[in-house]
Amino acid sequence: MLAATTGIIAVGLLVAGCTQAGPNEPVGEPRSGGTLTYASGDAEPSCLDPHVGGNFPQALVSAQYLESLVSRDSGGRIIPWLAESWTPSDDGLTWDFTLRDDVTFTDGTVFDAEAVRANIAHLQDPTTLSSTGYLALGKVAGVEAVSSTVVRFTLSEPDSALLESLSQPWLAMESPTALLRSQDENCASPVGTGPFIVESWVKQNAVTLVRNDDYVSPPADAGHSGPAYLDEVIWRFIPDSASRYAALQAGEVDVIDNAQPDTIMQAEQSDAIEQLDSPRPGAANRIELNSGQAPFDDVRVREAFIRSANVDDAVSSLFQGTATRSYSALSSVEATAVSNAALFDYDPAAAATLLDEAGWTESDADGYRVKNGVRLSVEFPVSTNQSIPAEQSVFEQIQATAKETGFEVKLAPLDLSSWYAALAANDYDAVSAPYTKVGPDVLRILYHSDSIVPAPSGYFANLAQVSDPDIDELLTTAARTTDADERRDLYSDAQDRILEGFYVLPLYDQQNHFLLRSDVVGLRTLPTVAVPTLYDAWLNR
Amino acid sequence: MSDLEVRARLATRADRLGQPRRLGVAESVAGMLALLLLVSALAPQLLAPGDPLGIDPLSAFEPPNLAHGFGTDESGRDIYTRVVHGTQSSLLIGAAATAIGLGLGIVLGTLAGMLGRVVDFTVNRFLEVLFAFPGLLLALLFIVIFGPGVATATIAVGLSTAPGYARIIRAQLISVRSTAFVEAATVLGRTRWQILRRHILPNTLAPLFVLATLGIGQAIVWAATLSYLGLGAEPPTAEWGAMLSAGRTYITSAWWMSFFPGLFIVLTAVTATVLGRGIDRRMRHL
Repeated sequence: MLAATTGIIAVGLLVAGCTQAGPNEPVGEPRSGGTLTYASGDAEPSCLDPHVGGNFPQALVSAQYLESLVSRDSGGRIIPWLAESWTPSDDGLTWDFTLRDDVTFTDGTVFDAEAVRANIAHLQDPTTLSSTGYLALGKVAGVEAVSSTVVRFTLSEPDSALLESLSQPWLAMESPTALLRSQDENCASPVGTGPFIVESWVKQNAVTLVRNDDYVSPPADAGHSGPAYLDEVIWRFIPDSASRYAALQAGEVDVIDNAQPDTIMQAEQSDAIEQLDSPRPGAANRIELNSGQAPFDDVRVREAFIRSANVDDAVSSLFQGTATRSYSALSSVEATAVSNAALFDYDPAAAATLLDEAGWTESDADGYRVKNGVRLSVEFPVSTNQSIPAEQSVFEQIQATAKETGFEVKLAPLDLSSWYAALAANDYDAVSAPYTKVGPDVLRILYHSDSIVPAPSGYFANLAQVSDPDIDELLTTAARTTDADERRDLYSDAQDRILEGFYVLPLYDQQNHFLLRSDVVGLRTLPTVAVPTLYDAWLNR
Repeated sequence: MSDLEVRARLATRADRLGQPRRLGVAESVAGMLALLLLVSALAPQLLAPGDPLGIDPLSAFEPPNLAHGFGTDESGRDIYTRVVHGTQSSLLIGAAATAIGLGLGIVLGTLAGMLGRVVDFTVNRFLEVLFAFPGLLLALLFIVIFGPGVATATIAVGLSTAPGYARIIRAQLISVRSTAFVEAATVLGRTRWQILRRHILPNTLAPLFVLATLGIGQAIVWAATLSYLGLGAEPPTAEWGAMLSAGRTYITSAWWMSFFPGLFIVLTAVTATVLGRGIDRRMRHL
């Protein structure tokens, strides 16, 4: 293996010595070495261990140093990763995973069945304050090590989403030795089996990752084997999108995420910068209407709001063709997504009639609808960390068009922690919260009434506060149904009911545009939750 | 030393040199601009009849043209209309902040200048502590504690300008206090309150009018700074600082979104300064 790698490096050096490859020319063999600087526009995680909480910024960075039991290929098929194979029992209640026997965590701890058990226990321990991982493991009743390489999951009921759940970075495997440390320590330097190792983390600035020279366990769809090409990765946080793009243009950073539509359009004109577009799976970006309290506890008011919002024009003007309007609760990368454009037509006249029917018949001096002396106001906290400026402008345009029908939309730009606080205090009528999960089971997490109950982290995912026994029943059954066609039909019915209940206003897929210097070669996103992996990446300079 | 003090000193020197009293070109232009700004603030509909919040997504990002003299923003809102309508909040914030700063300055300065050594010492040390913080930092500190918004931004800017005013007022008070007419009033047996009201304050406050005019320009710039940082007016409010901030996202593709609000911030600040100095010169020659 070592010899093969050296050979590749030698050939690479030779090729590079002869030719200076342009962006569209063949780039030759990969070369090892160099430092890649990645600038993330997502909020800086407060903990680098994605077990804790479990949000997308954590997934982005942790995919470089942590690995999961399984992965998913670009066709949506579950493929081996740290687990080589798996067998469910006939009743679907017992799953045996056979693990690779040659993997070691970067602190020297052996990866084995006991390590898997410790990780699941860590995720399910309420003191870990896990949200995403905790919810995904809802049906896992117990995990035991059958042998050093075979681990058995016992479920309380069949879980058709188990493999999809386990493929996610939030359920990645960490060294059980490292997990014994205090949570603060583990948050600062989680230990995994991945191609890079967390070396240091200077808060408000950057995480430094160095290559794991003993790396052996790429997922089955990786571009090469052996250690990563890059010596080092500097993972910076530049929340301001204009500064992020300027840093990329100046060559100060090599890859940026959360690219603004206008910069994507500019990059298309440039030879020095390329684009990688990879919509996130799970839910589409959508506005959830809080059906748990007035005014959106009335389905007519919800429909009126949706009919009064001119989303199509907002998306086409602000995203300039880089995003496509969605009419589905699910991302377009999910094969089970149901789309129903007719429910989301912009129709102010219909909206006005609906408001009349719902009793919002009077208007005040500012043109807002009034009922029993109360103005038709919609509190809309906006997380400035999770919405790029173009998206915040979409909300402003919705505010402007909804005003014509008589809705007073109160946009409140908030930082992440104030935003979470507003949600926890039920201080919102409308909210846009990205939720990424592999597979349609995200519907259960977002729209099952159980998800109105907060996870240990305090976050509850059912922000529309949908509490419909029929929807619950459909989602529960679907999550138990392993037959693919039957499962698809159930999710299809559930989505129909969710869309027809006007709980959500879909906008577009969760945008996931990366811009990279064209001498960064081999960057791809993991087909699980579309986070970039730098394992195959190398610098052609 | 605050820049207000510097300006006051420069003005004094100009006075000694004996500048002419005729209206300069700069002053005439500034006067016209001030008039225009006042009209924009009081009756924006006269100059820009459109809706500053009215969107038109299909004509977003239009560069300046015949229909939209200053171009349009990302939601197709007319920048000209927004800039004109933004005058009101910008001037209001500037004036209110200056009023707060002056009011506090008068109270602190009078206390220090009139109530004897112990109070003077205490107030001075307090002002020195405030001076240790750059004004904007003081404003930011206030906003961190009381939360962002137009009202807090106004108070914050007012607070951070107060120490400068207090110093000048104290110095002025002390110099007026030792003039012959105050001594005469004291000899005549007037109470301290009477002397303060009849003799000292009128002679102290007249120069403050100049300072206030100069201060409004500075306050507008600071208020715009706070909005630019997302701590003042919230989008999509038509406010210059907030517009500048929104435009910055698109600065590489739509320069007009930040250029025009920026231009008006500069024009307003320059107008206030030119007018303030003009008034200052004239008053010294009266």
